Amino acid sequence: MKSWRLWFSRKKWEQQLDDELRFHIERQTAANIAAGLAPEEARRQAVLQLGAAEGVKEDCREQRRGFWLETVWADVRYGLRILRKVPGFTAVAILTLALGIGANTAIFSVVQGVVLAPLPYREPDRLVMVLESNERFPEDAISYPNFLDWQRTARSFEQMAAVTLHEGFDLSSPGTPEHLDGNRISAGYFSALGLNLSLGREFNPQEDRRGGAPVAIIGDRLWRERFGGSAQAVGRSVTLNGIGYTIVGVAPTGRGLLSQHENIYTPLGQGDPLILNARGGHDDMLSIARLKPGVSIAQAQAEMSAVQEHLDQLYPDADGGLGATVLPLKQQIVGDARGTLLLLLSAVGLVLLIACANVANLLLARSAARSREFAIRSALGAGRARIVRQLITESVLLSLAGGLLGLLIAKWSVNLVLAAVPESLPRAGNITVNASVLAFAFGISVAVGILFGLAPALKSSRIDLRASLNEGTRGSTGSHHRAQSVLVIVQVALTLVLLVSAGLLFRTIRRLWQINPGFDVEHVIAFKVGLSPSAAKSGSTLRTAFLQLLDRIRMIPGVQAADFSMLVPLTDDDNDTPFWIGADKPAVVQNAPRMLVFDTGPDYLRAMGIPLLRGRFFSHEDTTKSPCVAVIDNVFAQQYFAGKDPLGQTITFGWAASPWGPCQIVGVVGHVRHWGLGETGTGTLAQSYYPLYQARDALWPLGYPGIRIIVRTSLNVATIMPAIKSAVYGAGSDQTVYDVQTMRQIASESMSSQRFPMILLGAFAVLALLLASIGIYGVISYSVAQRAHEIGIRIALGAENRSIFRLVIGQGVRLALAGLAIGAAAALVLTRLLSGFSHLLYGVSTNDPLTFIAVSVVLAATAVLACYIPARRAMRVDPMVALRYE
Amino acid sequence: MSAPAELLQGTLDLLILKTLALEPMHGWGIAQRIQQVSRDILQIQQGSLYPGLYRLERKKWIRAEWGASENNRRARFYTLTKAGRQQLEKELADWERMSTAVALIVQRT
Repeated sequence: MKSWRLWFSRKKWEQQLDDELRFHIERQTAANIAAGLAPEEARRQAVLQLGAAEGVKEDCREQRRGFWLETVWADVRYGLRILRKVPGFTAVAILTLALGIGANTAIFSVVQGVVLAPLPYREPDRLVMVLESNERFPEDAISYPNFLDWQRTARSFEQMAAVTLHEGFDLSSPGTPEHLDGNRISAGYFSALGLNLSLGREFNPQEDRRGGAPVAIIGDRLWRERFGGSAQAVGRSVTLNGIGYTIVGVAPTGRGLLSQHENIYTPLGQGDPLILNARGGHDDMLSIARLKPGVSIAQAQAEMSAVQEHLDQLYPDADGGLGATVLPLKQQIVGDARGTLLLLLSAVGLVLLIACANVANLLLARSAARSREFAIRSALGAGRARIVRQLITESVLLSLAGGLLGLLIAKWSVNLVLAAVPESLPRAGNITVNASVLAFAFGISVAVGILFGLAPALKSSRIDLRASLNEGTRGSTGSHHRAQSVLVIVQVALTLVLLVSAGLLFRTIRRLWQINPGFDVEHVIAFKVGLSPSAAKSGSTLRTAFLQLLDRIRMIPGVQAADFSMLVPLTDDDNDTPFWIGADKPAVVQNAPRMLVFDTGPDYLRAMGIPLLRGRFFSHEDTTKSPCVAVIDNVFAQQYFAGKDPLGQTITFGWAASPWGPCQIVGVVGHVRHWGLGETGTGTLAQSYYPLYQARDALWPLGYPGIRIIVRTSLNVATIMPAIKSAVYGAGSDQTVYDVQTMRQIASESMSSQRFPMILLGAFAVLALLLASIGIYGVISYSVAQRAHEIGIRIALGAENRSIFRLVIGQGVRLALAGLAIGAAAALVLTRLLSGFSHLLYGVSTNDPLTFIAVSVVLAATAVLACYIPARRAMRVDPMVALRYE
Repeated sequence: MSAPAELLQGTLDLLILKTLALEPMHGWGIAQRIQQVSRDILQIQQGSLYPGLYRLERKKWIRAEWGASENNRRARFYTLTKAGRQQLEKELADWERMSTAVALIVQRT
């Protein structure tokens, strides 16, 4: 209807223009007759004086309002007609663009969901994380007493709340027993975040303290699975660790702060007093706060520094040397992922450039064929700008179609990307193809259409009219060919950069696997056990329950050794603790050297395959009734007992309030790689072992959710786990087995920060290789077609098949070699970025010759392969046909 | 008689506006009037006159309506609008300044 009206008004407008010009010619004719010309001649002169009627009309039309839109519409219709006429070309171009745009859109949706999207809370820019800091750890977990003092004194914040990480809960009713990863939160946690519960209320201050009523807030999944999503869930009860908790609220799905799948919350103030009272402790607790309007992070930081300095003076024993640090919440949540994702986004951008080069090449080849069309248009009065605009319209049409198809590819490949995403990637649940992703895909399509369309359009619009109209002359093909070659060289260079990057990461992972981690990666399984609430009641019942459980597991055929540990290498768990040797207690414990503490059973060493270097490991005789013993690793021995014998020395460790020791060192074992196989970070290296059976009763209920059982077996997981599970269930049907992993899986997961970019870069590199080979194929084919005449003459003059073959392949290889040289130079510079990004590379230098040579060979071989078909075609050129061509 | 002078870039607008300031006129009339008043020195390219008129119309400096011509034919008459009159004054002032400046340089001996 609307376009019809537009058409109608345009008709009328054209009619008026015609009338006006006709009137003009009549008057001029009359004037010419009056000047003495014959009527025929008078009219002819009048027409000549006005000028080319169509040109004048076109100039008038350009002044018309809406003219621009109309011509765009005309260009679009014309473009669609042209593209429909060459379905093969159109399909290849659209598919190429769809791959490029699709891959970019997929990666952008990851970047958008993880890095760009604001946190899903009210006014997220005002949210900060407040952490403790000391000399060694600029960002450290906080202690509850310090938090309470901050909360009471600090004026920069509207609200402040604390939360603990990795709080284990064993849920036993309603429904089947299950281990849950939960959090303890302080009162006002949700209102500080600015997150509304979907049902009920959050904890109040009366509940957030010791002796408060046992209440819980459950997550969306539990609510649906265990309570059928009913509003009556509030007021019902859940049994956690054997204690009944009344549900007061339900948290919405996918909006947890520390993980998207937060399951359950209980009041922080009801936590273990041992942790809550330890002012000097750093136990998996952090605080979040909402800045008052108008308060900057710098102002809050200044205030918090002063607040903490005051606390340092009040409690020099526990807090001496501590600081407080205020950080933007989002930056803390996104963390390292930002760098990796931006790296991937730029890599996939290169893929798009390669795709663009391909389509630009296709357009160049086509525009050579279309030069007569442009010549005719320009002879009819079309300006150069008009032709360029027509061509750009066509290329934008192509890229929009490619973008549309690319969206489908993106929607599908986002799922592939999500499968490769490591669990450690924050906010992964946030990744979807949403409105901003759509906007990105549209924007990138238009931009790309202009980008790859511009060069061919400018080139084709510069026409030598006579040459082009003169049939049989090949117009400007020479310069077209040069442009095509340049594009292919660029493609090869970009592909090499991608291949090198993927190759370096691949080599990194190979290197990491070759590292001896200090324990046996094969034949070892680790899992956790949720004991019956009756067994989990106290330290002594827990100790007995584990002893009995381990005995049952050791009796399973195929189990070679089994024991437990509170810390397992490469799991990213961390418990560094200050210590001192002998009676050397430092004045400020916060600044004391730190070590990792492995609380294990006597069989742990054998189960893990860690070598004993000196002295002895624990035995079942090391109990609460015998003197405290410790074992250290060889790195500890080198760092703190250089040149001395560590055996017989004593160490004491722990935070200020309740140090443990002194314990006598009875043995030295091999170092294990705890902070990743590369162990490149700044993590504490010194390691120590303590017999878990000697641990104080009070520590057991605290530490028990972290206990992993390590089983050494020659059988595979699938075979042995059912037997292990039935052994666990046999000791109590309400017990759970969870987090089952082989050590190989744990080791593999520790490399996820390298594997994720490697998989994606590898995929991009393969895509780039494919596109570049299509590019080479296209250019060589085109050149063979252009040179058919010359090749025919060569064959007629007696050139052998072999030399024709070599001629064509040689042309392709020359292009590839030029691309390789440029690409290698670019890769040398660009791969430095890789090494700068969050320790991605290990054990290979950015100019690793093996990688460069290997990928160059792959690329060159692909180029030769891409030339093969055109070369065969060249050999079959019939000299007679070629010679008759002109 | 010397050949008709080339029109300076941008002066066409000024000439059209000035001509229409006297009375509403159709396209052919405007061309004739400019030629006559300038004693045949300025000869408008008829081909560029109409696009110019359409441009001024789009800028709302002139208004067009159909009416009867002096020989009683249907013709499109252009009238200066209020905005057009202001524009004319502005362009006249610009022209004065321009020509004075050029004259100063040219007449300098």
